[in-house]
Amino acid sequence: MPHLAVNDIHANYGALAVLHGIGFEVDRGEVVSLVGPSGSGKSTVLRALVGLTLVTGGSVEVDGTRIDYAAPRAVKAARDRMAIVFQQYNLFQNMNVLRNVTLAPTKVKGRKRAEVEAEAMELLKLVGMEHKAQAYPDELSGGQQQRVAIARALALKPEILLLDEVTSALDPELVNEVLDAIRRLAGEGMTMLLVSHEMSFVREVSSKVVFMDAGRVVEAGPPDAIFDAPSSERARDFFGKVLR
Amino acid sequence: MDYNFQFNVVWRNFDALLEGAWLTLQLGVFAFTCGCLIGLVGAACLSFAPRPVRWLVHAFVIFITNTPALIQIYFLYFGLPEFGIRWSNEACVLIGLTLNAGAYLTMILRAGFLSVRQTEMEAGETMGMSLPQRIRYIVVPHIAKSIYPALANFFIVILVMGTSVGAVIGVDELTGQAINLSTVNYRWLEYFTIVALMYVVLTFIASIGLALLGRWAFRVKARIF
Ligand SMILES: Nc1ncnc2c1ncn2[C@@H]1O[C@H](COP(=O)(O)OP(=O)(O)O)[C@@H](O)[C@H]1O
Ligand SMILES: [Mg+2]
Repeated sequence: MPHLAVNDIHANYGALAVLHGIGFEVDRGEVVSLVGPSGSGKSTVLRALVGLTLVTGGSVEVDGTRIDYAAPRAVKAARDRMAIVFQQYNLFQNMNVLRNVTLAPTKVKGRKRAEVEAEAMELLKLVGMEHKAQAYPDELSGGQQQRVAIARALALKPEILLLDEVTSALDPELVNEVLDAIRRLAGEGMTMLLVSHEMSFVREVSSKVVFMDAGRVVEAGPPDAIFDAPSSERARDFFGKVLR
Repeated sequence: MDYNFQFNVVWRNFDALLEGAWLTLQLGVFAFTCGCLIGLVGAACLSFAPRPVRWLVHAFVIFITNTPALIQIYFLYFGLPEFGIRWSNEACVLIGLTLNAGAYLTMILRAGFLSVRQTEMEAGETMGMSLPQRIRYIVVPHIAKSIYPALANFFIVILVMGTSVGAVIGVDELTGQAINLSTVNYRWLEYFTIVALMYVVLTFIASIGLALLGRWAFRVKARIF
């Protein structure tokens, strides 16, 4: 049974239909990547999974259990298991780094502050941000904020991590650090759904790549097959541009 | 100028003025604090509550902000007894001022709710934070930081203009005390000169207190002057 199954989901922003039936599966401990041109709906898929954008058709299953996005309790349960890291980090501007990471574990999960803080420092170390624990987001670069956002998501101990273009704001030498962190997480059995434009990164870490365009899955498969021998015209065209 | 200032009279009764100033400060702080709570609930309702509740809040705000505070307090003090509700003059001022502040603060705080980054609210939501938690941990610090000067100004308005309305129904706050005392010996000019200075000192202390509070609690880099 796949850890996460997305079956033919539809979503729209007001009158604008954005997802026209997206489907794929992610096995436990697997890293799956969504790639495709800007505006193809990749972020919307991740948002739909965590209940920020309403799923208007199709279904999402975690461990075989269908998530009823109309039921607040089910959405809460889904958010307990999935954590999202946003493209724009979305850190809490009025809290320092440490508090950003510890807020939800202490206030939502009701865990002890001292214990959560110790864990948070470990996570910040993992992303190389422990020296900025007392800094505020507006004192950090985009890459630094993104690393804090990853630590913040991990502090919730999710089973499935959703990452939306997390490396696009990172300095080149830091991409490897994050990549290592993600590899380590995968080794620990973390299931990950990744949106990225960094094709070499995607090829290296993913076991499956889903190519999307205009709210549809055009093709999906192992990275080598998708990148080196795409079967669709659309994918050939896209990879021809991004892979040089 | 022929007038012969005799401040001795004032100094002899200075304790009474100090008591008045203390009461003024208490009234101002209480009305502002409770007004902030009402305003917070009101503003939260305007952003998140269903339509009928939003209408009620709007009606409350429109009713209060479009009638003079004096009339509202007169109504509480002289009007309510007709319905069998009798409150002391101090209670009437306290309740009147609090409701008044609550209505204005609903609109002031609404600006804060509207300007909070939606992305932060979404992040909080996906992390499992309930709406009250998001308001408490995301909106409130944002409001405190972004509209702190407006809040501090409004506190001064209540402290100086709001509380002095109490004098007309015989509350012995600073203005009330000045009226009481000067009626006895007709040293109006002396009393009101000193009382004016006392209001200035009171606002000065309040401003410094607010600036320090802002800096300490909300990282507001407010200038005192
Ligand atoms: N909040 C929104 N309101 C309206 N349209 C949106 C919103 N967010 C995204 N869209 C539209 O939805 C489509 C898919 O966007 P998105 O999921 O962000 O794509 P991607 O992440 O692949 O770049 C785009 O056409 C975009 O303009
Ligand atoms: Mg996107």
